Amino acid sequence: MTCRQMDNMISSRYGNSPLPPEAAEHVAGCQRCHTLVRLLDENREIPSLSHKQLKRIQAALIENISPVRPLPPSGIFLVAFALIFLSVVIVGSIRLGVSGWDVLRMEQKIAVFATLVASAVVLALSMVRQMVPGSKHAVSPTILPIVILLALVLVIVAVFRSEQESAFVMNGLMCMRNGLVYSIPTALLFWMLLRRGAILFPKLVGAAAGGFAGLIGLSVLEIKCPNLNEYHILVWHWGVILISSLAGVALGTVAEYIDRRKNHRIS
Amino acid sequence: MQSGESASASTTAEIEQLMKQYQQADPAAAAALVELLSPQLYRFFASQMGSRTDAEDMLQDVWLRIHRVRHTYRPSEPLLPWVYAIARRVRVDSYRKRQRIASRETSAYALPEVPANEEDTSHLSPFEELVASLPESQREVLTMLKVNGLSIEEVARATSSTVGAVKQKAHRAYERLRKLLDQAPIPQRARKGVAQ
Repeated sequence: MTCRQMDNMISSRYGNSPLPPEAAEHVAGCQRCHTLVRLLDENREIPSLSHKQLKRIQAALIENISPVRPLPPSGIFLVAFALIFLSVVIVGSIRLGVSGWDVLRMEQKIAVFATLVASAVVLALSMVRQMVPGSKHAVSPTILPIVILLALVLVIVAVFRSEQESAFVMNGLMCMRNGLVYSIPTALLFWMLLRRGAILFPKLVGAAAGGFAGLIGLSVLEIKCPNLNEYHILVWHWGVILISSLAGVALGTVAEYIDRRKNHRIS
Repeated sequence: MQSGESASASTTAEIEQLMKQYQQADPAAAAALVELLSPQLYRFFASQMGSRTDAEDMLQDVWLRIHRVRHTYRPSEPLLPWVYAIARRVRVDSYRKRQRIASRETSAYALPEVPANEEDTSHLSPFEELVASLPESQREVLTMLKVNGLSIEEVARATSSTVGAVKQKAHRAYERLRKLLDQAPIPQRARKGVAQ
């Protein structure tokens, strides 16, 4: 057994339970692991808390106790997010048209929309899990929005080519406005749903909700906009997700500030 | 399964049952939960902040937050990661609050900042003294694993991280502790430190 394997053993070992034979053999022969295990084993003292303080906490909880209904299963929130996503994209496509969809080649449609759907699913899962503290995360919520933003950049660069374009800024601003008109109000709607859970890190939830709403804006634009210039899509379409995510972070910062004030008043 | 693990499993089942009853407004269950979980939560705060007063404040704060968000606990899910995720948030808030107060005081009196966890380290055990020198993320993982007795999976859930990331942080923490122990073994530290 190596010291590295010993580390995994130490981490998964419960309390002071006896070491498995091969780990015990390693500890006997390795002075560094022996000292480490000894240090960790000696650390079992449970501090005594003042009885008065425990009574005070118990009294505070019991004073305001009332029955609560546990949060509905994650599946219900996922379905709600999916329905909102589809409804907004459909409404956007009806209102703005589908000329973008018509000009996309099949491989472009597959690459762009498969990435959008996959990103939406992953972000929705992350949001739902962030509503419940201590949930299991396949990817850390801190890095997920960044991973998604980068994945979309890669797909756009791989799928589209640069083209000559007049009125780059004017056309682009129009597209961005169209995208944000759909994404920002939807982000607020997601936020209302998310507030039903316990949001421990509002900035992270804000980034995820903003990113998810930005995906809606980007989907509407990809269906609506016939401009296939790589730079147009990269700056003005992808920019919708970036702005939505940043707006989400800003909203989270405000929520965090309000929570802090509230907690300060309560304690 | 070893006897320690069996005992832990039955305690876990017991506290999860108490949590369910707490959600149904059973005052006895709420009181029992406070009694069962507070010592470990207190240790979680004290090990990382180094101040008993701060740890007591945070303990009170964590229970108020648990009370406020108790509807978000789903009975089918493990309870400890849920509790420690909230405790972790309380610790972060408390740390930031102290930083803000310290910076205000510094600007008001133009004195150098003295971090609160350096206020009195004489009560720290050799273990806590060594752990205090680890980076925050490693210290947090090590405290949850070896002080609070959470499993790797539970720590991953509590820190919104992955099992692999927790293992990596724990490995780095052990490596660092080994190096520190090479420089000053436990007996020397115990003599230098205090009451065991």
